[in-house]
Amino acid sequence: MLLLICLTLQGRVAGYSRHGLAQPGVTQAADTIPGRAGTPASAADHKVSGTVRDSSGMPLPGVSVAVKGRPGVGTTTDMNGGFFLDIPGNDTVLVFSMMGFTPRELVVSGQKPVDIRLHASAYHLDEAVVVAFGKQKKADVVGAVTSINPSELKVPSSNLTTALAGRVAGLIAYQRSGEPGADNASFFIRGVTTFGYKKDPLILIDGVEVTTGDLARLRTDDIANFSILKDATATALYGARGANGVILIATKQGKEGRPVYSVRLENSFSQPTKNIRLADPVTYMRLANEATLTRNPLGITPYSQEKIDNTAAGTNPYAYPANDWLKVLFKDHTMNQRVDANVSGGASVARYYVSAAFMRDNGVLNVPKLNNFNNNIDLKTYSIRSNVDVNLTKSTLLITRLSGTFQDYVGPINGGAQVYNEIMHANPVLFPAFYAPDEANRFSHHILFGNYGTGNYINPYANMVKGYKTYNTSTINAQAELRQKLDFITSGLSFNAMVNTSRYAYSDITRSYQPFFYSLGSYDKASDTYTLTPINPDEGTEYLNFPAGGGTRRITTSVYFQGILNYNRVFNNKHGVSGSLVYQAQNNVSGDFTSLETSLPARNLGISGRATYNYDQRYYVEYNFGYNGSERFDRKHRFGFFPSAGIAWNVSNEGFWKNRLSRTITNLKLRATYGLVGNDAIGSPRDRFFYLSEVNMNDGAKGASFGSVLGNPYRRNGISVLRYANPDITWEVAHQANVGFDMSLWNKLNVTFDAYHTYRSNILMARASIPGTMGLANVPSANIGAATSRGIDASVDYNHTFSKDWWIQGRANFTLAMSRYDKYEEPAYEDEPWLSRTGYSLSQSWGYIGERLFIDDKDVANSPVQTFGTYGAGDIKYRDINGDGQITALDKVPIGFPNDPEIVYGFGFSVGYRALDLSMFFQGQSRSSFFINSTTTAPFADNNALLKAYADDHWSEDNRDIYALWPRLSPDVNINNAQPSTWWLRNGKFLRLKQLEIGYSLSKRLLDRCRLKTFRFYVNGSNLLSLTTFKLWDIEMAGDGLGYPVQRVINLGVQTTF
Amino acid sequence: MNIQQLLLLLAIPCLLSSSCRKYLDVVPDDVATIDYAFRQRSTAEQYLFTCYSYMPAHGDVSTNPAFMAGDEIWFYYPYAIPGYDIEVAAWEIARGNQRVTDPLVSYWNGTNGASNLYQGIRDCNIFLENISKVPGMDQYEKDWWSAEAIFLKAYYHWWLLQLYGPIPIIDKNLPINASQEEVQVERMPVDSCFSYVVRTIETAMASLPDRIENQATQLGRITRPIAMAVKARVLTTAASPLFNGNTAYPNFVNSAGRPFFNQAFDPQKWVKALEACKEAIDICSGHGYRLNRFNPSVSFNLPPALQTIMDIRTAVTDNFNSEVVWGNTNSPANQIQNLAQPRINAANATNFSFWGITAVPLKIVNMFYTRNGVPVTEDRTLDFATRGAGTRTATDAEKYYIQPNYTTAAINFDREPRFYADLGFDGSILFGHGNQDLDALNHLEAKQGQYSGWGGTPNNYNITGYWPVKLVNYLNVMPTATTYSITPYAWPVIRMADLYLLYAECLNEVNGPSAEAYKWIDSVRSRAGIPPVQEAWTRYSTNPAAYASKEGLRQIIHRERLIELAFEGQRFWDLRRWKEAERTWMEPIQGWNIAQSDLLGYYQVTTLFNRSFRLRDYFWPIAEKDLLVNKNLVQNPGW
Repeated sequence: MLLLICLTLQGRVAGYSRHGLAQPGVTQAADTIPGRAGTPASAADHKVSGTVRDSSGMPLPGVSVAVKGRPGVGTTTDMNGGFFLDIPGNDTVLVFSMMGFTPRELVVSGQKPVDIRLHASAYHLDEAVVVAFGKQKKADVVGAVTSINPSELKVPSSNLTTALAGRVAGLIAYQRSGEPGADNASFFIRGVTTFGYKKDPLILIDGVEVTTGDLARLRTDDIANFSILKDATATALYGARGANGVILIATKQGKEGRPVYSVRLENSFSQPTKNIRLADPVTYMRLANEATLTRNPLGITPYSQEKIDNTAAGTNPYAYPANDWLKVLFKDHTMNQRVDANVSGGASVARYYVSAAFMRDNGVLNVPKLNNFNNNIDLKTYSIRSNVDVNLTKSTLLITRLSGTFQDYVGPINGGAQVYNEIMHANPVLFPAFYAPDEANRFSHHILFGNYGTGNYINPYANMVKGYKTYNTSTINAQAELRQKLDFITSGLSFNAMVNTSRYAYSDITRSYQPFFYSLGSYDKASDTYTLTPINPDEGTEYLNFPAGGGTRRITTSVYFQGILNYNRVFNNKHGVSGSLVYQAQNNVSGDFTSLETSLPARNLGISGRATYNYDQRYYVEYNFGYNGSERFDRKHRFGFFPSAGIAWNVSNEGFWKNRLSRTITNLKLRATYGLVGNDAIGSPRDRFFYLSEVNMNDGAKGASFGSVLGNPYRRNGISVLRYANPDITWEVAHQANVGFDMSLWNKLNVTFDAYHTYRSNILMARASIPGTMGLANVPSANIGAATSRGIDASVDYNHTFSKDWWIQGRANFTLAMSRYDKYEEPAYEDEPWLSRTGYSLSQSWGYIGERLFIDDKDVANSPVQTFGTYGAGDIKYRDINGDGQITALDKVPIGFPNDPEIVYGFGFSVGYRALDLSMFFQGQSRSSFFINSTTTAPFADNNALLKAYADDHWSEDNRDIYALWPRLSPDVNINNAQPSTWWLRNGKFLRLKQLEIGYSLSKRLLDRCRLKTFRFYVNGSNLLSLTTFKLWDIEMAGDGLGYPVQRVINLGVQTTF
Repeated sequence: MNIQQLLLLLAIPCLLSSSCRKYLDVVPDDVATIDYAFRQRSTAEQYLFTCYSYMPAHGDVSTNPAFMAGDEIWFYYPYAIPGYDIEVAAWEIARGNQRVTDPLVSYWNGTNGASNLYQGIRDCNIFLENISKVPGMDQYEKDWWSAEAIFLKAYYHWWLLQLYGPIPIIDKNLPINASQEEVQVERMPVDSCFSYVVRTIETAMASLPDRIENQATQLGRITRPIAMAVKARVLTTAASPLFNGNTAYPNFVNSAGRPFFNQAFDPQKWVKALEACKEAIDICSGHGYRLNRFNPSVSFNLPPALQTIMDIRTAVTDNFNSEVVWGNTNSPANQIQNLAQPRINAANATNFSFWGITAVPLKIVNMFYTRNGVPVTEDRTLDFATRGAGTRTATDAEKYYIQPNYTTAAINFDREPRFYADLGFDGSILFGHGNQDLDALNHLEAKQGQYSGWGGTPNNYNITGYWPVKLVNYLNVMPTATTYSITPYAWPVIRMADLYLLYAECLNEVNGPSAEAYKWIDSVRSRAGIPPVQEAWTRYSTNPAAYASKEGLRQIIHRERLIELAFEGQRFWDLRRWKEAERTWMEPIQGWNIAQSDLLGYYQVTTLFNRSFRLRDYFWPIAEKDLLVNKNLVQNPGW
C-alpha cells in the first residue's frame, strides 16, 4: 500500500525511484504528499488520456504511466483508473506499471483515449515487499520473503486461512474441519521444528500481533500486501517471536480522489465434499450379533431374530426403530452469504479507506419442525475497518486504523463436530428419535424422545434439539501511527512510532431443556399399539434452563508499542545505505486464566536493528539483530541476543551480463543468509515461569477425608507440585541458513527458489532418564532437544498477453519441509535402535507392522504372543521385530510418512478473452500419513455406528479374508487391533481442484449506461474434485474423518464499483 | 514539531528500556512455592492429607485388584454400558491380559486404575523432611503426624511388595538433579523389603495414638492398633509360602547374583508373625474392638436366623462397627454397593439407577459350608453330591432364607447362615431396603424376564445369578422406581474376625492344632451361626479327624478365612500368599444360564470364562519402559 508508484522501465531503474523505493517504513509519507507524482512535462505536443484496468475490468488507481526514454515525464492514474498526460509527440511509447502487475508498453499515436488492461503478476522486480518493520523493493531483499498478490487469496469462504494451502511457497497448510466458526486451517511456515506448543507462525496485521482467528476473519478485499518471512534475516527484527516464521499483512489505505465505492455480493451453496456411509440398521443388528457370538459363542446376543425380522419387514417404526441418524440430523447442503463494501478517497490533507463486511455461514444441520427454536449453526460475522491518514505537516503523517470484528453465533450446544460425533456413537435400532404419543401421553406437551435402559444412551436428535448455544465475540483494534521525516537533521532519516491496543471479548451461554426420555414398554402387534415407559419423569423439563454460573466469558487485552528510527540514503548513485533501530514492547493480559501464573500479564520487550548496504544495486549486505526479553525466564537468561546476516548479488545488474544474457535471463539475483532467531514460547502455555516452582495449594485430587460422620467428613484438599523450579531454562534458538535465487526469463517467467537448513537447539523437553521410582509429580524439563529442518520452497509464474483480447497467466509453487530429531532424550535403545527418534521427522509415527489377520487359532498358537489384550483368529498379527517371541512396545518401528505433509504444492492458470476470464487452481500434498482411528470407528463398541465399508469388508468365520479392511468383529474395542499399526496407516497424498472460477465483466458501453465503473459477475467453486485413493471420508480430514466434513462450495458473486 | 519535542519522542524508548528489568518482572512476591506448605499448621495438615491421598482405595473394584483380578466376582462382557464409567483394568488381569506394555493397575507407575505409590512415598519423605519447620505446632503433634507419614511410607512399600515382590526401597528422597547413576535404583531382596517395612511400621508405632479422641474429624487416621494389625499381616505374609522358601524362581537374581527370594523355609518367620498377631489382638481387645452384633437403635425383633444374618452383614456394612480396626474413610462404599444391589421387587423391575452386575461365580457359591459348618463335599448328612443343577421348592421353615413355595436350585438349600447373608439369588430373601415386615420380606426372582433377572436388555444384569449382597447396606432404599439411595460406610480394611483367623493360622503353623487355635476359629464360627470346628467335623464330616492334623487344620483355617472374609478384598491376597492361586484360579468361571426364563433352562451350569494362571502371574510385570530407563531393574520372572 505504501508505495504504488513505480516509474520504471524494464531492466533499468530510474534513479529517483530507487531512492524512493528502497526506503523502508517512511516512504509513504513521501509519496502520498501531493504534487510529487505527476510532473508536467515541458515541450508538450499533445495530450493523451485513458483508463487502466485490471484483467477483470476493475479500474486501477495508482498505476504509473511513464514515457519511454523520458525519465521525469509521467503521471499516475486517479481513483478511477484514469490519467491525462502531455506527451512529446506521436508514436510515443507509454509504459504502464504498478506493483503486483506485469508492466505493459503501448505505442500511442493520435489523441484517441487509451483503454488498457494490466494483468496481475505474482512477482515483479520493483514491487515493494513488506518486510519486518518496513518495506523493501523486491530487488533489494536479501532474506527469504514471499509476497503474494492478495487477489490470489480470494476464495468463496469466510475464512481466509482456508485459502493458504498451496498458494504460498514455504507454507505447509491443511484443513481438517468444515464447521463454520471452527474451520481454521492449520499452517506452518517451513514445517515444524520445535516440540513446544507454539508451532504456528507469528501473524502481524498492520504490524500488530494477532491470532489465527483474527487472520481467519480478515477480508481479502481489505488486504493490500501479504508477505511471509521465512529466514533469519527476514524475521530477526521480531527476535523472540519470529522463530516459526512471520506472516505480515498490511491493510489498504485511502488514495486521493473522489470517493470510489466497491461492493461485492456472494451467495454460496455448500455441501460436504464426502459423506460417511453407514450400514443399514438390519445389517447393523445382524453384525452386532455376529460380533458377540464370534468372540463368545455363549454370549448373549444383543438383538433377537424377531427384532431383526420385524425391522426388516418395516413393522411399526416406533416398536422396531431403524434410524438413519445422518439423514435425520443433516441436510445435504446449505447456503451462505457474504457482502463486502468499501469506500476510499481523500484529498491532499487526508485520505481514507473504510470498509464493512457481513458474512453469514450456516451449518448443514436439519432443523426439526417439532422444535420452536432453530439450532442449526448460524454464524454471522460483521467487520468494519477504517484507515485514515492525515498529513499534519509536510513531513509528518498521522495514520489511524480502527477495525472491529463481531461474531454472533447460534448453534448446537457442543458444536457441529459433536453432532457428527454423537451420530457415530448412537445406536440406530434401540429407539427412534422420538415416539408418537401413546395412549398415556396423548396430552403431553413435550417431545417424547426415545432412549433405552437408564436413559444414558445417546439420542443425537434429542441432544441436538434440546437447546442451543450462542456466543458473541468482539475484536476491536485501535492503532495510531506517527511518521516523521527527519530530513532536516540529515537527509534520509525518519522516525515512526506506533501504539496499538486490542480488546477481544467472548461470552457464551447455553440454553437447553432436559429432554424427557421414553422407552418402549410393550408392543401389541395385533392392534399395532404400544405403550411407553418414562425413563426420567422427574428430571425432564419442558422449559429452557441455563447452566449454573452461566457460560464462559473471556476478555483479552493487549497493548503494543513500537518506535522505529530509520535511515535511508543513496550516496553518489552507487552506495545504498539504510538502517533501522526498532524498540518494541508488548503487554497481554488474558482473562482466561486458570491459575495465578496464567493471570499475570505476558510481556515482551525488545530492541532490534537492521543495517543494509548495497553497491550499485549489485552487491548487497545486510545485518540484523534482535535483543529480546521474556518474562518467562530467570533473570540471568531473560534477554537473548539473536544476530543474523545476509548477502546478495544481483548478477543481472553486472555489466558483463547486460550485453550477453539479459535478453534471456532478464533478472538474476543470488541470495544467502544465516542467523539466529529465538523462541520463548516453549513447553506449554501454562508453564509461564520456569524458574519458579508451581504449586497447587488446594488440590482436590490429592486430599483426604476423615471422621465418623459419613457424608459430612472432615476434608482437606492436598498440595501438589505442578512444576519444579528450574532457573536454567532459557531460549530455544533456531540457527537458520537460507540460499536462494530470483530469476526472470524473457520478463515473462519468474522463478524464485529457496533452500534452507534450520537447526533448532535448546528445545525444551521432558527428561527421559528419570525413572518412576523417583516419585516426581511431573517430569522436569530441560533445554536438551535439538532438531533440524530442511527443505525448499519454489514458485514459478508466467504471464503472457497475446493480443489486446487474449491473456494467460500460470503459476505454481512447491514447498518441501522435512524435519528431523537431532537430539531427543530417550532411553539408550541399545538393543532396539529402531525405537530411537533421532533422525526421524518430528511428526513421525511409530507403530507395529500389521502383517495380516490371523488365519485360525493354530496360526495364533504358532505366532509370537501379542500382549495387548484378547485376540484370536481374524485379529491383526504383528511382526516381532526384536525376535523375543512376544509383541511388546519394543516392536514398534517408524511407519509411514510424517503426520504433517512434507510436500504441499499448488498450480493453476488464468486465461482471459475480452470480458470473459477463467481460472483454475489445483492444490495437493504428499509425503504424509495418517491412522484411521480404529477406536472411534470400531463398530458396536460404545454404541459406535457401523461404517458401510466395514460391514462389506471384514473378517468373519465364513469369510476368512486375512487382508480384510476390518478384522474380526467385536462388541467392544479390541485392544489388540486398536494398536497403532500399518494396518490402519493410510497415505495422506491427494490432489484436488481447489478452485475454479469463471467471470464475466460488462462492457464499457453498458457500464456507462448504468453509471458504473465496473461490474463483474462470477461463478466459482472450491474443493470440486479430489484425486485420492482413500474412500472412507475426505482425506484432508485425515484421521478425524468422523468430524464435521470439509465443504465443497459453489458460489455466485457480483462485484461492482461506482 | 520542533527539535525539543522530537528529542522527547526519541527518548521514550530509551526511558522504557532503562526499566526493562522491572517491566519483565511480572511475578509478584509471595507466589506459592513448596516452602509455603510448611509455614502453617493448616497447610502442613494439607500436606499430611496429601500423603494419605495415595492410599489404595480398599473398597473400590477399580483400584483394589483384590476384587476383580482374582476369581471372586465377575461381570458380563463387554461390561460397558452408557452412563456407567468404571475402570476395569483389574478385571482384564483376571482375563489374562496383564502385560509389560503399559501394565494394568500399575501402582508402580500410577496408571490404569492405580495411584502412584512412589510419588506417595516421595511426598511422605518431603513431609518428614519439612514438618520440623512448621512454626507454632506442638511437638507431640509433629511427632504424631510424622508417625502417620512414616506408617504411610511403610504401607506404600508394603503394597508394592505384595504386587511386585522385590522392590527398590526409597527411604530418603533423591534430589531432583541427582545423577543418572543415583536415580537408577535397584530392587531389593524380598527379605530386606519385609524387614524394612516392619522396621518402619515399628518406628511409626512409637508416636501413633492408641485411639482417636476426636472421632468426628479424625476417625480413619492411622492408630497404633491399625499399625500393629498391619504389622501382623505383613509378618504373616512374610512367613507364608509365597515369600518363605519359595523356590519357584531360582534364576531370579539381582546383579550380584543373589536370589531375590530366599530359597529356604524359615520357621522363625511364623513365630514372629504369631507374636505380632498376639500383640495386635491384645491391643485391639484392650481398646474394646470385638466381633460385631446387629443391634439397631430401633429393634426389629428379629428371629434368631435373621439376627445371625444381620450380625454377619452389618460386620461389614455398619460404619465403624465394633470390630472394624481400620475403616478407610477415603474409600466409602458407594459404587461397590451400587454394583452389588439386585432389583428387589416387581415395582423396581426397570429400576436401572443402580448397576447390580457384580456376579459371584459358582465356585465361590460352592465354597460356603453346609448348615453344619463343613464343606458341601464332606457333609455326610446332606446329599450335596447328587444335587447338581437340580431344583427344590422352599418350605415355610426356610422362610428367612428362601421365599416359601419358591423353587430354586437345590444347592441353595441347607447352607450355613453366611451363605444367605452373603449371597442373593433366585428366590433368596433380602432383609431390609425399606421392608422389615417379617411376614412379607423381599425376595429375588432372577430368571430371564423376572424383575431381578435379565430383562432382555443389554444392561444391568448379573451374569451368574448370584449377587454379593453382603456388601449392600440393608438401609439402602429405592424411593422411586427410578432412584436408589445408598447409605455408605467406611470400607473395613481390617476387622477383628480377620485378626482372629490370622492368629489361628499362625498358631497352627507354629504349634500345630491346639485348643488355643480352635478357640479363635470357633469365636468366628459362633457369630456365623455354625458349630465349633471339632464338633462340626466330628459329627458331620466324612473326614472327621481333619482338624487334628496340622495340614488338615490349615485347610480348615484357610477355608474359614475365605468364607468369613468373602467379597472383602482378602481372598486375592490370601490365595497368593498361600501360593494356592496357581491351582484355584485355574478353575473355570461358571454361573446359571441366566438368559433362560424357565426352571429347566435357567438351572444349567454355564461356563463363562476359562481362566489360566501361570507362575509369573503372582508378581506383576514392571513396565517395559521402566526397564529401558533404569537398566538396573530386573524384570519379574516370566514377563
